[in-house]
Order: sequence, then C-alpha cells, then structure tokens
Amino acid sequence: MRIIIIGFGNLGKGICRAFVEKADFLKKVHGLVPRVVAVVDEFGAVVDEKGLNLPQLLKTAESSRTVVKYKGGKRGKLALDVINEVSADLVFELTPTNIRTGEPGLGHIKRAMQAGKHIITSNKGPLVVAFKELDSLAKKQGVEFRYSASVGGAVPVIGLAKKLLSGNEISEIRGVLNGTTNYILTRMSAEGVPQEIIIREAQELGLAEKDPTLDIDGIDTACKITILANSVLGMDAKLTDVKVVGIRRITPEATRLAQEAGQMIKLVGIARRDLLEVSPKLVPQGHPLAVGGTLNAVTFELDLAREISITGFGAGPKETSSSLLGDLIDIHHSLGG
Amino acid sequence: MVMELEDVPGQLIKGLEPIARFGGNIKSIMHQRERKTPLGRLPVMLLFEVRDRAMLKRILAALKEAGVRVTQLGEREGEVRNTVLLVGHVVHTDIRHTIDQLNAIKGVMVSDLNLAVGSLGCESSARMTIAADNKELANQAISRLRSIADKKNLLLVTSIEAV
Repeated sequence: MRIIIIGFGNLGKGICRAFVEKADFLKKVHGLVPRVVAVVDEFGAVVDEKGLNLPQLLKTAESSRTVVKYKGGKRGKLALDVINEVSADLVFELTPTNIRTGEPGLGHIKRAMQAGKHIITSNKGPLVVAFKELDSLAKKQGVEFRYSASVGGAVPVIGLAKKLLSGNEISEIRGVLNGTTNYILTRMSAEGVPQEIIIREAQELGLAEKDPTLDIDGIDTACKITILANSVLGMDAKLTDVKVVGIRRITPEATRLAQEAGQMIKLVGIARRDLLEVSPKLVPQGHPLAVGGTLNAVTFELDLAREISITGFGAGPKETSSSLLGDLIDIHHSLGG
Repeated sequence: MVMELEDVPGQLIKGLEPIARFGGNIKSIMHQRERKTPLGRLPVMLLFEVRDRAMLKRILAALKEAGVRVTQLGEREGEVRNTVLLVGHVVHTDIRHTIDQLNAIKGVMVSDLNLAVGSLGCESSARMTIAADNKELANQAISRLRSIADKKNLLLVTSIEAV
C-alpha cells in the first residue's frame, strides 16, 4: 500500500518505526506491505514513489529535525501539493491539533478525500470542527476514513464501539480521557503536593505541554467527548455543546478528603444523547474508571452487554502507533487485502 | 429500634449479637440513661441497616429468643447516601446556610461534614454526605446544592455514580 505521511512529529516517526520493526509481522500475518512514498513536515517534503528508506529517513529527521535533508527533499514543498501530485492509496494526517479552525489538518483531509485517497488521522481539530462534513465527504468519495488514535491513544475506544459492540445500542460513554490531568490528580492525591508544582514536573518529564491549558481546563477531554458523540452516538455535536469544568480548582486537600471517603477525584467526560459534560468527579476506589498515572479508561453503557470498560495508555508515540497501525490494517482488509 | 435492657453488666452484648450474627450493620448506639423505666430497665436506641425484610425478621426472632425486649421499631426504606465535595470559600460563604438549605428538603439530611481549610488566601474544601429517603429526593438535594454552589462560586464535585 502506497502511503503519504503528513506531519512528522512524534506520531509520524512512531508509525514509521512501527513499519520498520513490524515489517515481517505485517507481511506474514496481514499480507500488508506499507510503502511510504512521501513524508511532509513543516519545512517541506520528501517524495520517492518507489518507497522511502524509513530507517534512513528517521535518522535524518532525528539529526536535522526535518525530512527535507533526506536525499531529494524539497524545502517549502506543501502538503496540499504532495497530496495532489503523488500517486498514493492512503494519507496519514498527523499534524498538530487546532481545535478552533481544524487547520491545517482539515484542508489536508478534504483534499486527500477529493483525490480519492483513504485517510487515517489522530488529529482532533478537523474531527471536532467538521466531523459530519468529513464523514459525508468520505462516503461520497468512496474512501475509508479512520480516526482511532484521536481518542484514547492506544485504547481502542472507537473501534470497540463501532465494530465489536455494534450489536448494542450505546446509551452512555464515560471516561478518563486525558493522561496529563490524570497524572496530576494521581500525584496530588498520593503526595499532597500543589498542582503548580506537579505541572512543572510533568512538563519536565514531557507528560504535559508547555501550555497545559487545554488539558487542565478540560478542553482536550471535551474534544474527545465531541468526537465520541458524533462518531459513536451519531449526534451532531459541537465542542461548544459540551459543559466543561477542568481541574484547576482541585486542591491537595480536596483529593485528601476524597481519599478518606474511599474515593478518587478524576476528570471524567460523559457523552449521552441528553448530556455532554466534562468535570471532576468522585470515583470510588476499585471502580473501572479509578485508574492511576497517565492511564485512560472508558466505560460504555449498553443495552445487551450492560457495561464494558477498557483501560490502557492514552498517549505516547509507540502506544498511539498501535491505533494508527490498527486503522491501516483494518482498511487493508476492508479493501480485500 | 429501641430495646430495654437490664442495667447490669453484659446486657448490651445480648442485644447486639443477634444483629451482627444475621448481617445487620450497626450505625449508632445510644443509651437513654435519663429515661430509665420504673422497673429499672434502660432504653437503648439502635440504628442499623439490614439488606431486606427477611434479615430483619431473623434478627427480631433472635432478639426475642435471647429475651431482649424491643419496645420500638421504626423502619426507613432505601436510604440513599451521596458523598460530594465542595471547593472554594466554603466557610466564608456560610456553610451553615448551605447545610440548612439542604436539610430544609423533607427527607434529606446532611449526615456528615468534613472540612479541610486551605492555607491563607487559598480555597478550602468540604466533604459532605447527604442522606435522602429515596433517589428522587437525593437528586433534588444534589440539584439544589448545585445551584447554591453556583451562587457561592463553589466547585461542586459529585460522584460518578450519581450521574
């Protein structure tokens, strides 16, 4: 399968590493031979229709911070042009998220669909801003559209809901969907340390962004709830429909009081047809959502299976490549591969 | 439940053992020494939870067998208890008023309150247990607390199980 990768940060590199490390496995078990024919980053692009040498590309990108330095790389070459010009089956759209405009990811995805290329993305921006539009465009163009990595990182939230649980009516999805805030709350509760100090440490460990506002104020979780509401519950929800309260006001004392009553404070997102909400909640110890550290956890309320919960790592390039690769294999099989 | 016991050592255990043996969960015990009966017996008021009526029946039979006199029996079915947290200037925004507003709902009572006062200038936290006679009243109490919290600029953290 001929693949274009747009965005070569942690996730772009992560999926390439998975292609290299799992080449034999993918061929043997799934009959899949991914051939990366173009990679675009913020500085430019590199194209080779015969297939790029991924170990070499990864090495170049590590040392010079851009793919442009790879043999034949073109500075200033734009993603939209690559999508138009390069003959490929599928595009990975892995650029940074912009939750207001969805750009540049939104433009990339639309262009790829119009060009008849299948799309896999981890980018929450386009999904939050224009889910319905993209979903219909994919159907109209007859291309596959997958976005498992946008919610839950490695945890197969969307795939589980849309595939394995498809015989159920899902009445509610609730989950701990942001690893950064879960890490902060877990440490506040264990050590009684103020939030600002833990945030600073989390930033040093690479667990929190330089500007952690989107995480702390619950916006990241709200984006995921919007995506789940649209993709799983079939709603037409916007980010502004989600009632959001973050964890900024949670103090170590509050976590202690919770703990004394056998509870933990978790930032929980809830998607129900009559309620979209993100807020700190008391979760009893031992409850499926009472997961610690950077873990994510999701519970589905269902008519047949009653309740199903899953938990796992919600972030990290290697972990997230599990979802990206899963989407690719899924598309490969659905195309008869 | 109120039971009358002889005012001699070893009587209380006679009254408690059957409750524990059949799985009753004792919540409180109060001696009513000032209400000693003319025969010199001591009324003891007990509050305990049972899973169902059958359990209560077995306990009552065992008490009778042990010779314990039960003089009053009141039942309250399906009490719902909700634990919540409030974060903010909980004390300065008159916590007494907050509690009174909840207790004003018939069948609702704030049964437990724990405060953690933040350092100077910082926000405090309170953990509250709200007991209600049924689920409907429990929801009513939570929604009243939500509107009080909004007015007083407090962050209300409710249980995932109360969603």
